[in-house]
Amino acid sequence: MPRISIPTTGRLPSSLRVDPSNPAVSKILNRLSRASLISIALDWLDENDPSLAAPYLRRAEDEDDSEDENDFNVPAQSLGALQELYANLQSRKGSKREVIDRIVEGDWRHGLSLNQLAGADLQYLYDHPLSQRWTAYRIVPLKPVNPDADADDDVTPTEDKQSLSIPRLHPATFLNALQSQVPPDVKAHYTIDRHRTLPLLLLRIFIIDSPYNTSLSLHSSSSSSATTFDTSRTVYIAFPDASPHVFISKPQSLSIAPGTAGAGIGGESKSLRTLIVEGIPKALSRPRQRVTLKATGLVTRNINELLERKGKQRTNAAGGGWGVYADEKVKESPLDMVLPTPPLSEEDGDAEGTRGGKRPLSVVERREERKRKRARLVAKARFGGSGRVEDGKGLERVDVVVEDAFPAAAEEGEGEREEEEDEDEELQPYVRLTFHGSHVFAGIRQLVEHGIIDGERMPGWMTGEEGVSVGAVRNGRIRGYKGSGL
Amino acid sequence: MSSPNLDDEIENLQARVTALKSQLRIQTSTLLASPSTRQLIASDTTLSGQKLLSRFTSQQAHNQQCLYRACAGLTTFLARDPDPNAVDGGSILGLRIEVVSRAKFLRPYYVLLNRPLPGSSYLRVHRHTIPACIPLAGLAARYLPAPSGGVKQDLARFARALRREAVRYHHRLGAVADLRKAAAEGKLASLAPADAEMKQISIEWADGKTGRLVIGDDGEVVNVVAVGDNGRDRDAARELLGGAARIEDVAKRLALA
Repeated sequence: MPRISIPTTGRLPSSLRVDPSNPAVSKILNRLSRASLISIALDWLDENDPSLAAPYLRRAEDEDDSEDENDFNVPAQSLGALQELYANLQSRKGSKREVIDRIVEGDWRHGLSLNQLAGADLQYLYDHPLSQRWTAYRIVPLKPVNPDADADDDVTPTEDKQSLSIPRLHPATFLNALQSQVPPDVKAHYTIDRHRTLPLLLLRIFIIDSPYNTSLSLHSSSSSSATTFDTSRTVYIAFPDASPHVFISKPQSLSIAPGTAGAGIGGESKSLRTLIVEGIPKALSRPRQRVTLKATGLVTRNINELLERKGKQRTNAAGGGWGVYADEKVKESPLDMVLPTPPLSEEDGDAEGTRGGKRPLSVVERREERKRKRARLVAKARFGGSGRVEDGKGLERVDVVVEDAFPAAAEEGEGEREEEEDEDEELQPYVRLTFHGSHVFAGIRQLVEHGIIDGERMPGWMTGEEGVSVGAVRNGRIRGYKGSGL
Repeated sequence: MSSPNLDDEIENLQARVTALKSQLRIQTSTLLASPSTRQLIASDTTLSGQKLLSRFTSQQAHNQQCLYRACAGLTTFLARDPDPNAVDGGSILGLRIEVVSRAKFLRPYYVLLNRPLPGSSYLRVHRHTIPACIPLAGLAARYLPAPSGGVKQDLARFARALRREAVRYHHRLGAVADLRKAAAEGKLASLAPADAEMKQISIEWADGKTGRLVIGDDGEVVNVVAVGDNGRDRDAARELLGGAARIEDVAKRLALA
């Protein structure tokens, strides 16, 4: 540890080592499975830059002296031997504890670098893709401000709706610009990683409240080494490829005792989020080309759904039944002269075929069968290919406020039983709907398929075609959000 | 016993059935497309004859649609919004934009417009399948502005401008793919698009130099920069370009080298 540490505005270096006894280290490592732990340990051993993840090795010359009898985790002599050791661990069964002990008390007893902790944290994100709650923002260009008007200073730049430029991201420049937005009493560590399976660029920001960017920032006093980690936050920012959107995760605390400071952290993480939402557009802006972030009303844990709605494909503004226009599997060449079959008639033929062998149905059964088939077809027409339980693109929560007047017919019948204010003789109760589940719109689709919801009278926003998870309904449509978000 | 053989046989037969069915469909539409068939069908007054006639009519309509789609590249159609609360009774005007890439028609891009204001012909983009890298929002704001501004909407210009952007984008996409293929066996270590619009290409040379190639809307080379260990390396940039003015020429040069 250096003796003098000067407060700076720099970032935390990746090579900064955290003492393995720090509760934050064990918290990060304990979340991972045994297989993931071994695979990240092997990744660390593969690291080219020795300052980032070098393990503790025993040199050949000091082999004889001071061999600690109680040391269960005998340090290896070379990287190769260590790699072999972890490969052995990988091939045989054992406990997770054993691997963590080996890492914390053995090979990285001199500390885990911030880079290693970031890697472990990212591994957790890959293992548990639903662990973060993401909010999607759209990056919109701003009108260039007239430099002469700057004297008045109160000119807030407005959105340039006519702009034809698509914002571009250069990760290194972005990071430098973002760093300059960070206040001097806060230090951050940044890790950029390409998502392993999805077209995303992940940026992990680890923030601690400290003016120093040396190891002093991690040990604010000798008595409690965990204090600064208590106030630390981790935020993920994801940039989808070829799409002017950005997904920001909810800041997560590494606090050891979350119960004690729960209320304070809530407000703090909110302000941190505002800081980030304000800082990102500044970092993305370039001279004469400023951008801002605009909320899209989509908040979810499911990153697949985010990519479907805000990604680079055709599906962004063609949800629900409109998906038939976006489905790239359908071939629709004008050179194909074969008369196309309407999309809903295919299933018809199939159903007829499967019933062939069965006994003839009675009148009632046949009517039931027809009803079921009709409900299935309606569901297919309203939802298209979307809203399937197994598609992995489920919203887990949808909040809708209905601002419509109470339907007149129902008002006469049971109007008195409701308690709400009358204004201009128009009954407008405050109705707020919250849908919960692993895949909200798949659930609604199933209800339509089973005839519980009348698919033909169901409002369009119940199919999920608006692509929002929070919205207000007026005149039966999601208000303000004009379908395609234009 | 010979169950694997039997399975194979069933699979083969099923494949044949599918092949024959598609054959049948193609033959039917070809037959229905010829004018002499019409005379034959028209003289038949039985029920099956009438059915055939209606099939003939829809085939004719389909052929005409295909002809327009192939030749005009930009067609419109009418659709319905299934939402019971949809504006304007659910009437939708669809724009279909054809894009050709690698000598094939891709799935068309669709823009679906509705008329949200009663009694007004003001159009608004309702749904679309345009990817995010084509500036649809900006074009809509330019050519289909809200009626409050007093500017008239121009659907034809909007459609033309949008098609132009879509086609340009696919041309750039194709050119960059060609460039990557040409660069695969050369002095360049890697070559990758660096932005959504395919206008910037980041280049890495085998000897560690890095650079950027910036192209314009129509594939013309705007700028190229190479940076080596000792700062900017103009020779490398010049060597890469060799006086080429368009990205296709750069690809050709790389393929020859």
